[in-house]
Amino acid sequence: MKIVDVQDLVFSFSSEGEPVINGVSITIMKDEIVGVLGPSGSGKSTMLRLIAGLEMPWQGSIYIAEKPVVADKLFVQPENRGVGMVFQDYALFPHMTVGENILFGLSRLPRKERKPRVAEMLELVKMGEFAERYPHELSGGQQQRIALARALAPKPNVLLMDEPFSNLDADLKAEIREDLRVILKKANITCMIVTHDRADVEAICDRSIEMGQREKIG
Amino acid sequence: MKRKLIGRSIRKEFNGWWAISLIGATVILLPILFVFSSLFFKPNENWFHIREYLLGTYVKETLILVISTGALTAILGVTLAWLVTMYDFPLKRFFRWALILPLAIPPYIAAYTYRSMLSYTGVIQATLRNEFGYQMNPEWLNISSLRGAVFIFTLFLYPYVFLITRSFLEHQSASFFENARLLGRKPFFIFLKVVLPLSRPAVVGGVVLVIYEVLSDYGVTSYFGIHTITTAIFQTWFGMYDVNTAMRLAAWLMLIVVGMFIIERLLRSRQRYHLPAKSRPLAAMKLKGMGAAAAFIYCTLVFLAGFFIPFVQLIAWAVLTFDKVWNDTFFTLVYQTLYVALISTLIIIVVAVIVANVCRKQTAVSYFLAKWITTGYSVPGAIIAIGVLAIFIGLDQWLAPIYEMMGMADAPLILSLSIVMLITGYVIRFMATGYNAIEVGFEKVGTKYTEASRMLGSGVTKTFFKVDLPMIKGAIFSGFILTFVEICKELPLALLLRPFNFETLSTKTYQFAKDERIHEASVSSLIIIAISALSIVVLQMVNKKVKE
Ligand SMILES: Nc1ncnc2c1ncn2[C@@H]1O[C@H](COP(=O)(O)OP(=O)(O)OP(=O)(O)O)[C@@H](O)[C@H]1O
Ligand SMILES: [Mg+2]
Repeated sequence: MKIVDVQDLVFSFSSEGEPVINGVSITIMKDEIVGVLGPSGSGKSTMLRLIAGLEMPWQGSIYIAEKPVVADKLFVQPENRGVGMVFQDYALFPHMTVGENILFGLSRLPRKERKPRVAEMLELVKMGEFAERYPHELSGGQQQRIALARALAPKPNVLLMDEPFSNLDADLKAEIREDLRVILKKANITCMIVTHDRADVEAICDRSIEMGQREKIG
Repeated sequence: MKRKLIGRSIRKEFNGWWAISLIGATVILLPILFVFSSLFFKPNENWFHIREYLLGTYVKETLILVISTGALTAILGVTLAWLVTMYDFPLKRFFRWALILPLAIPPYIAAYTYRSMLSYTGVIQATLRNEFGYQMNPEWLNISSLRGAVFIFTLFLYPYVFLITRSFLEHQSASFFENARLLGRKPFFIFLKVVLPLSRPAVVGGVVLVIYEVLSDYGVTSYFGIHTITTAIFQTWFGMYDVNTAMRLAAWLMLIVVGMFIIERLLRSRQRYHLPAKSRPLAAMKLKGMGAAAAFIYCTLVFLAGFFIPFVQLIAWAVLTFDKVWNDTFFTLVYQTLYVALISTLIIIVVAVIVANVCRKQTAVSYFLAKWITTGYSVPGAIIAIGVLAIFIGLDQWLAPIYEMMGMADAPLILSLSIVMLITGYVIRFMATGYNAIEVGFEKVGTKYTEASRMLGSGVTKTFFKVDLPMIKGAIFSGFILTFVEICKELPLALLLRPFNFETLSTKTYQFAKDERIHEASVSSLIIIAISALSIVVLQMVNKKVKE
């Protein structure tokens, strides 16, 4: 099954100037983990935001799990797309505990199943005893695991990760890379990971796609 | 293709939040547009009379007042800011914040306090006469003049310039000034050639705030018998009940405001006074001997005249009249003031939060919406007052058949005699105060939490209550206090839009002063000053937080 199907997408931040995304098509099958590579400014983050519904394309269509979310006059709001995202700086809600952060995305689950799901997610990322902590009481690596658990909890069709390792130091990176692959495979999730580092792709991803080779000016 | 895109954009962005914002913005702009539309009505005799014999004087006195006050506040504000940032002298740390205090005394209160102190029976002439046997020419101390008004405005409004310039200078990198010093330049040369040009946008920003206050003023000018366009608007209404002519005058005043706005743009010449990020703070230079004494005396004089002396005088009067004033009538007054201010502030904050929330996504539409909703602050109170009044009178005429149906034919004026009119005026005038505070709050938080929340399946409204609101609590609090204080202090709108027999602290204070019951005005004045001081404290707290 095609989980992400992007056709001839065109997008620009302003009406003047060259589009950031110019006629891009991407297809991702179920359970694939795909790396997104490309030079800085090539539109990798923008691509993820378009799929997430945080930006609106000018032309082209997007299908998630074979349902149209952008096509013709249609625009499905981000909260209704079944797309999960791990932000570069995690964006954990500072006024909620770790447990509450994960619970936040579970409002569509029957009430009885929410608590067990939170526990299950904490177990998955090996952070069982941290449920009562606040985000600022966690290390960078721990925050990232919680952000991952929070994004996976509502069982999205696809998980988007924008440079998941950029805020971690090199020692931590190798270790977390391995953990991430294990977690993602265990969760059976389709995933797009934006990164600068080919080594990330080789360690985690099944395949990779290259974003537009835009000439750098100057 | 284009149309499809627009349709889809609306689908993405439009929701109840936008609808409420657009309605709020329309209500805010309507009275101002109405004032302009008066230019197309057929003028009546009153207008021809005013234009023929009076308008020249009004415009002349308004301009003299604005230009002199603007220039003098610039001088006072910049020199004081320069002294307390660049130099060390006795009590400098105290002056750094104490020189803001004159802002807590509304000019109309300062005006009657000073006039009374300087009068024949006032403390100064009485002391000279009784202690020193010196009879002064009363003309010398006559403050009821254009010169007197400039004196009052300068002394009690300069802190706007002082505050903005001070914070600008404090954020400048030390190297600018140290380089100049190392090159062997005299401090005065540095002041003239480096500080002034560099801080021009900040100074202009401060002076513009001063000028808006002066253009809005009714208390000082009417008390001193000066003929400005604002006083003329009031006299046309109170004396002749001629809304159309008052609106024409208001349109003229609006032209002056637009002129000011253009001049401001030119003076700033595309410079924005953005503060550089982190830089080494300036090490203040120690003043010695004569220099230290001169700086100390200068700051002390301004502080005494701008805050301490009138404040102590008010306390002295309050002690004399406390028993007479402090009674049930007075409590009603306080209660009414706080009640109206509270309702207006709540409305402002709710609308400001809604609009600021939809304007977080920066588009051309949201840019105009934000400008639009904050127009009230750059429009003098008298213009808003007369616009609101005209609209409410129009509404009552329009609704007259309905009143009749409801059996209220004997009361043809319902809305325009109700408190709703005053609240509407306050909301329009002070929306910007609340909005700006909340906008800053949203900017600090950024959009990532909101986006994260939506990716987790929450819609705009749920995201707002669960995520956005808890994060901008602080901004809402400071916006609330600042707006509340402005409303409690406000005079011209309250005078013109209040229901019959409805008094607030400020209108009552003004009434006492006008009836020459100066001493009785002191208790309510002190309460207003205390409330204003509260907003200064909040501002200082917010500034400190921003720095951290
Ligand atoms: N909010 C914005 N407004 C205007 N232009 C933007 C905005 N965000 C990004 N851009 C521009 O769009 C282009 C693509 O940006 P994007 O962030 O998608 O690149 P990227 O591939 O993620 O780069 P990096 O690897 O540095 O993160 C860049 O040229 C950038 O300057
Ligand atoms: Mg990026």
